[in-house]
Amino acid sequence: MARLKGGYNIGLAGRPSSRVVDLPVPSRLVLPLASRCFRFGDIRVEEGARVSAGTVLATDPTRFSAPLIAAYGGTVRLDRVADHLILESLDEAPPGGLSGSDSAAPPGAASGSQADARDRLVSLGAWPFITDARTDLPVDPAATANDVIVSTVHLEPFVASADALLKGRLDSFVRGLEHLHELTQGGTVHVAVADDAGFATELAGLIAEHSWCRLHTVVARYPFGHPLLILRALGLGRDPKRPVWAIRTAGVLAIERALSSGAPGVERLIALGGPAVSEPVHLKAVVGYPIDEILENRLCGDDVRVISGGIFTGSDVSPGQSGLDAECEGLTVLRELGERHMLSFAMPGLSRSSYGRTFVSRLCPGGPPERLNTSLAGELRACVSCGQCIDVCPVGILPSVIHKFLHADEIDEVERMRVDLCIECGLCSYVCPSKIELLSDMCDARRLIREEHEAQKKMELKAKLEEEKRLAAKEALAAEEEATA
Amino acid sequence: MKLILTLLDKTRPLFQEGGRFAALKPIYDAADAFLFSPLTRTSRAPHVRDPLDVKRYMSTVIIAIAPCLLAAIHFFGLRVLAMVLVSYAAGGAVEVLLAMFKKEEINEGLLVTGMLFPLILPPGLPLWMVALGSAFGVLVGKELFGGTGRNLFNPALIGRVFLALSYPRAMSAGWIEPGQGLVGRALEYATDAVTMATPLAAAKSGTWAALPKLFFGNVTGSVGETSALAVLIGGAFLLIIGIANWRTVAAMLGTFVIVTAGIYSGDPHAIIWHLLSGGLLFGAFFMATDPVSSPIMNSAKWVYGAIIGIATALIRNFTGYVEGVMFAILLGNIFAPVLDELFVTAHVRRLREEG
Repeated sequence: MARLKGGYNIGLAGRPSSRVVDLPVPSRLVLPLASRCFRFGDIRVEEGARVSAGTVLATDPTRFSAPLIAAYGGTVRLDRVADHLILESLDEAPPGGLSGSDSAAPPGAASGSQADARDRLVSLGAWPFITDARTDLPVDPAATANDVIVSTVHLEPFVASADALLKGRLDSFVRGLEHLHELTQGGTVHVAVADDAGFATELAGLIAEHSWCRLHTVVARYPFGHPLLILRALGLGRDPKRPVWAIRTAGVLAIERALSSGAPGVERLIALGGPAVSEPVHLKAVVGYPIDEILENRLCGDDVRVISGGIFTGSDVSPGQSGLDAECEGLTVLRELGERHMLSFAMPGLSRSSYGRTFVSRLCPGGPPERLNTSLAGELRACVSCGQCIDVCPVGILPSVIHKFLHADEIDEVERMRVDLCIECGLCSYVCPSKIELLSDMCDARRLIREEHEAQKKMELKAKLEEEKRLAAKEALAAEEEATA
Repeated sequence: MKLILTLLDKTRPLFQEGGRFAALKPIYDAADAFLFSPLTRTSRAPHVRDPLDVKRYMSTVIIAIAPCLLAAIHFFGLRVLAMVLVSYAAGGAVEVLLAMFKKEEINEGLLVTGMLFPLILPPGLPLWMVALGSAFGVLVGKELFGGTGRNLFNPALIGRVFLALSYPRAMSAGWIEPGQGLVGRALEYATDAVTMATPLAAAKSGTWAALPKLFFGNVTGSVGETSALAVLIGGAFLLIIGIANWRTVAAMLGTFVIVTAGIYSGDPHAIIWHLLSGGLLFGAFFMATDPVSSPIMNSAKWVYGAIIGIATALIRNFTGYVEGVMFAILLGNIFAPVLDELFVTAHVRRLREEG
C-alpha cells in the first residue's frame, strides 16, 4: 500500500473511553425520515397504529426500498415533529438478537442462496452499510464488486472507535468478512487497521487462513481511514470501471448479525464525546433514540452545540427535536464560544493545540488535549499563501489555489486543479489562519463542475437530436424530390 | 481587562452607521479586534478551528525582528526607533484612509511591512523620506494590487526602490558610522554622527572589512542588516516555528555561495565575507520568505530561492550596484507567478497519473 500524506489529529478534549454504556428503553423513539443518503418518503404505517418491534415503518423508494425499522414496539405518531416519525408507549422488550450474541450459524448455512442473502440484508436494514468506495453512496442490491475495502480506522473526533466496536466481537467480525467475500462472489476483502489498534494481532491470526482477505496497516491519523484514500493507496483507483465496495466496522457486524441470526440492524454503538461531555464514553443505543434523553445528565454547561457525527463532517442537531439517524456514528458536544479574551493572539499558548508550530505547547508535546469551543478563532482575511492547507491535504490538491480560481469564476481552471479528488475531510478549513471556508469552496466547486457537465451533456443531446431531425427532414425532402422527379 | 471591554462596548454605537464617528469605524474595529479575540462562531463544518490566525502569524515576524531592531538601536542610536514609528504612522495612515474609503477592515499585513521597511533603509535617512517611502510602499506595493494577500511584490521593497530612484544621493549618503563599545549609540539620537562607506562599497575600492565586525554588525549598512548574528537568531526562530519556508532560504543562500565561489575561485574568506555583508542574510530570512510574493508550491520555492541567490551574486559583482539583494528579490517576485504556473501544472499532472 502506498504511503499516505498530509492528515492531522487535532488535540480535542473529550475522547470517549472504550467503556460501553447500555442505554435504557427510552420514553419514545424520534425517527428522522431523512439522513445523509436516505429519504424515507414512503410511510408504511398509519397514525395511532400499534406496531411491534422489527416492523418496517417507512422505506426509501428511490434507493432499493431501504427500510426504516422500529427497534421497539409502540404507537405511531406522525407529524409531531417535522420530518420525523414518533413511536410512543414503547414495549419494554427489545427485538430478538439486539444483544448481538456470538452464537450463530456459520456463513452459508443460514444465509441460503446469494439472492436470498441480499434480500435479507435489504429487508433487515443492513444493506445500506455497503457503499460504493468512489461515490460514498449506497450500492444497488443487484450490483457486485471485485474488491471490498473494510475500514476499521475511524479517527474523526468523535465517532465510535473500532476498539470499542470490536471488543469481544472479533469472531463475528471475521464471519462478517466471510459474508462479504461470498456476497461479492469471491471478491478480495481489504481490511484497513490503524497502527495503534489493540485488536490487530488477534485479527491477523483469525484471518490468516483466508487468502482472499488482506490486512493493511494504516497510520492512525485523520482522515487516513477514508475508503477513497485506501482505494487510491492500494492502486485500485486506476481502473474506474472496476467496482469497489466500502464498508466500515459497524456495517460488517450488522451484516453478520442479519445473516447469522436474522436480527434487524436497528442497534447502534455510538461515541459520545467532546469537551462539553462530563464523561465521554461509548453508548449502545437504537435508531431513533431521542438525543435529549441521551444527553440528559451527561453534559457540563448549557450553551452547547450538539453535532451528529464528528467535528469535521458532522452537522449540528437540536437535541429536543431529533433522534439518532440510521447513519449516526457518534455525538460530539462542544461549548459555544461565549467570551472574548484579551490579546489572545499574542499569548504563548501553553495549552493550545495547533497544526503549526507557533504556540509554546509545541515544546512539550503530549500535553492535555485542548477544550476547543465553536470559536472561529480569528477574523476572516484574504489568503496569505501560508501553504498549510496544501500541506495538510490528504489527497494532494491545492485548496488555496482552487479557492482563488473559484472566486475568479474560472471553473475550467478549478476542474484542471483536480478538485474532484477532494474527500471533503475538512482539514483545509480547520488549519486556515485566514479562516477561509475552504471545505465549502471545495464542495461548491465540485457541485458547479457537476452541473456544468450535466448542462453540457444536455446540450450535446439536444444538438444530436436536432441534427437527427435535420437529417430526417433532408431525407424526406430528397425522397419527395425523387418522387416528383 | 473588564474595564476596557466595557469601554469598547459602550463606545461601539458611536462608530456604527449613523453614529457620530461612523467614518472612523475601521480604526475602532481594528483596535477592538487587536485587543480582544472576536466572538465569531463557526457556522458550518468543521465546527472547531485551529487557534492560529493571521494576527498571530504576522506577530511572529515582529518577534523574529526584535534582535535586529535591538542591534540597530545599539549601533545606530535611538533614531532607529523614530524611523520605525514614522514608518508605521505613514503606512498606517494610508491603510486607514483606504480602509475608510473602501469601507473594509484594516489588515494585519501592515504590522510586518511597517516594521521591515525602516530596517532596509540607510540609518541616516531623513524621516520625511521614511514616511514617503512607507506610504508609497503600502499604497502602490500593496493596496493598488487589492491589499494584503494579493500583492505581486514585497511592499517594503517597492517603497525602497521608489526612494532609491527618487533620492539616489540621500539613499547613498545616510550610512552612519556604527557606535562602539558596550553601549554603542543606544543612548543617543545620533543626528550628527559621521557617515562612511558601506563594507560592500569599500570592498569595490579594495578595503575589506574584518569578518568579526561583519558578524556582530559593527559596520555600517541598512538599519537592520548589519548584524549577521541578530539576523541569524531571528531567522532561525522563523524557520523553527515554520513561518518562513526553509527551502527559499536554503536555495537562495546555497546558490549564492556556489556562484560566489565560482567568481572568487573558491576562496573561503571571500565567500564567507560576501555571505555576511550587506542585506543578503536579512533579505534571505525576512524578505524573500514573504509567502504572498513567493510561489506557492514547495518545489517552486527551490527555484525561486535559486533565482534570487544567483541574481544577487551577479548584481554585486558584475554591475554598477554594490548591493544586489533588493533587485534580486523583486526579480524573484516577477518570476513567482510563472513558477507557480509551471510547478502547479506539473503537480496536477502527477495527480492525474495517480488516479
